[in-house]
Amino acid sequence: MPAAPVSPNPASDWCGSVVLAALSLPGLLAAPLPAAADSAPEHALLQFKTEHYQDSQPGFQRIRVEEPALYGLLPLGEHLSLSGSAVYDVVSGASPRSYSSTSGASRVHEKRFSGDAELTWYADRSSYGLSAARSQEHDYISNSVSGDAVFAADDNNTACNVGLSASRDSINPTNDIVENEHRTTYAGIAGVTRALSANDLLQVQAGYSTSHGYLSDPYKLFDNRPRRRNSGTGSLRWNHHIGGLGATLRSSYRVFHDTYGIWSHTAELQWVQPVSLRWVLTPGLRYYTQSAARFYVDPPADGSPFPQLPDGAFSSLDHRLSAFGAFALSQKAEWHLSEHWSTDLRAEYYQARSSFRFIGQGSPGLANFQYYQVQFGISYRF
Amino acid sequence: MNRAWVVLITIAAGAAGSGCAMQAPKPWQKGVLAKPEMTMAGDMLELKFNDHTWTSKEASFGGFGVGGGGCGCN
Amino acid sequence: MQATDDGVTTMRFAAMAGEAELTVAGRAPDRRLLDAAAAEVRRIEQAYSRYRADSIVSRINAAAGSGVAIEVDAETAGLLDFAARLHAQSDGLFDITSGILRRGWDFRSGRLPEPSALAALCARIGWRKVDWQPAARRIALTEPGMELDFGGFGKEYAADRAAAVLQAGGIGSGYVNLGGDLRVLGPRPDGRGWALGIRHPRTDGTLAGVELKSGALATSGDYERYMDIAGRRYCHILDPRSGWPVQHWQSVSVIAPVCLAAGALSTVAMLKGPDAPAFLAAQQVPWLAVDGSGAIVRHGF
Repeated sequence: MPAAPVSPNPASDWCGSVVLAALSLPGLLAAPLPAAADSAPEHALLQFKTEHYQDSQPGFQRIRVEEPALYGLLPLGEHLSLSGSAVYDVVSGASPRSYSSTSGASRVHEKRFSGDAELTWYADRSSYGLSAARSQEHDYISNSVSGDAVFAADDNNTACNVGLSASRDSINPTNDIVENEHRTTYAGIAGVTRALSANDLLQVQAGYSTSHGYLSDPYKLFDNRPRRRNSGTGSLRWNHHIGGLGATLRSSYRVFHDTYGIWSHTAELQWVQPVSLRWVLTPGLRYYTQSAARFYVDPPADGSPFPQLPDGAFSSLDHRLSAFGAFALSQKAEWHLSEHWSTDLRAEYYQARSSFRFIGQGSPGLANFQYYQVQFGISYRF
Repeated sequence: MNRAWVVLITIAAGAAGSGCAMQAPKPWQKGVLAKPEMTMAGDMLELKFNDHTWTSKEASFGGFGVGGGGCGCN
Repeated sequence: MQATDDGVTTMRFAAMAGEAELTVAGRAPDRRLLDAAAAEVRRIEQAYSRYRADSIVSRINAAAGSGVAIEVDAETAGLLDFAARLHAQSDGLFDITSGILRRGWDFRSGRLPEPSALAALCARIGWRKVDWQPAARRIALTEPGMELDFGGFGKEYAADRAAAVLQAGGIGSGYVNLGGDLRVLGPRPDGRGWALGIRHPRTDGTLAGVELKSGALATSGDYERYMDIAGRRYCHILDPRSGWPVQHWQSVSVIAPVCLAAGALSTVAMLKGPDAPAFLAAQQVPWLAVDGSGAIVRHGF
């Protein structure tokens, strides 16, 4: 027997008095499902993930990174959860270079350890998180604390979030260009998340960050950056579920601007497609474009070894401050082995070129840069 | 800079326009929104890895949250 | 419990004088969760059973006319409030004191009751004669022989509660079917709705189908317990004012966000007779009904 072609529209307003009387009984609808608001996790999660990263410029094999990491999430009763992660990364290969060709690139082999822990308390319509993080390298140590809060409206369709963080970094480069330098950063963010429909969730956020202290790269020649850098961001995230395909389109956009004079735009799309009960495939596309910092200097085109700069002027040859654009393509496959176990594999290819840029100008001769990274994870939920 | 504002305004207008045409869900219609892929959160380690990679290769950072601290890679 | 190839798991058990079915789809369900949902159905069945002397309903009924008010728990208080509102909104047609009418009707006898017997039973009916104090959560049946009966919505309430247990356990796809009262947990994993059939009131076949992604579907009909005498159908849905069965509709199906509402509306619609379309329109729910001639009338379906 075929189903009636006309499906009733549950989205229409049910404001009949009997319906309202039934809905006013507690316990008929599952605890209001989180649309915008966070609720305490019901399961613990342990996850191991490792990343292999390798980048290159034409004819040159450069940095390689191996990055194993652990993450844990533990519910502590009804209102509290503890989460934390530990990441260890080993960087090896030639040191980053600013020029398209330079002799005598030195080898690097560096280790970094970072860890963080967060305690979150969940109330009826709000949640509050406190976290601390530390990142340690032989020449760079960063300690930070942050707090965030989420408040949901009565209908749980709208939530506001605020977050604040502070970090204090110590810099002791091996080349002794500077000694015991510091960098302090304060950042804040505020946003609104709203369930637009049963299939659409939108988030708008604005962020601000201010850093002061030593912000230059001690390992780069002619790197002399202002000792204060303020930046602002605006971001938009939209998750849309396509019922007919069972798929979810996750999209995001971010605009960034700082007092170095850099503007950037980032757009990202992910298509989450369950292909069976156990398999989920997620292809992704990311585009990034930035303009150059005001004091960015292109490598000299006339073949002279060093750029001509007035004494004491701000300058940097760091190509990360140049105008460029970048595309990243990714594919992720998740395999839910059982109720408890799942595993995933994600691969990403990234290419940056000055010609890919949509905004900014300059740096036509900068060498293309590309990397690929592969992540493998396995997690246990209980 | 002009282009930046054009992009922003276009997206904001699109979002606002689509918001008007949609109807906020009732509590019993939130099954889809509760799916993990529909929440704003995600795989924590994947987010950490990607954020680390991108902030170390690009001049921009932040925008979707705070915390996590600094790194010598920037 | 049985699992099929397409990832749909179904558990069947007997409850509420009929067959109960829990169907869930998606990631492998936890057996304990299904057991918890089944246990919730049985808990409600026992809590509101007239046959158990220790049930809250039996204790209230035992105190009828004694002047003693019985204190009830919060869940029962919620259901009594719902019954009170439904009584008012149905112009007295939905009355949880009307259960005693079943004593006048023996559908296996093939005989109609004596009008005097029905009149005597009707005299003991009346929510207005119930002293229900919501704030104090105390209830007293003011006349001897009065009885409360939660049978008019207990099954629907249990379907909603079982669904809530499954949803709270993270199940977002599937449905609960308690003897034909259906509550959908969420769409199939591929996003489509569940194709639900509506029983034909005169044959064993299906009258119509509907695809539901959420919400509930309940049907009241004159075919559950009945007798046909001289070409007329006398069914178990009895008008509390006269004590006689409804005649206008063979069945009424209603879609609502929760089963409790769908079930109550379909029952009241049967009692409303020719006024049912106006009543259901005011309640803003999709409905489908089969009238006395077998013709289908529908709105929003």
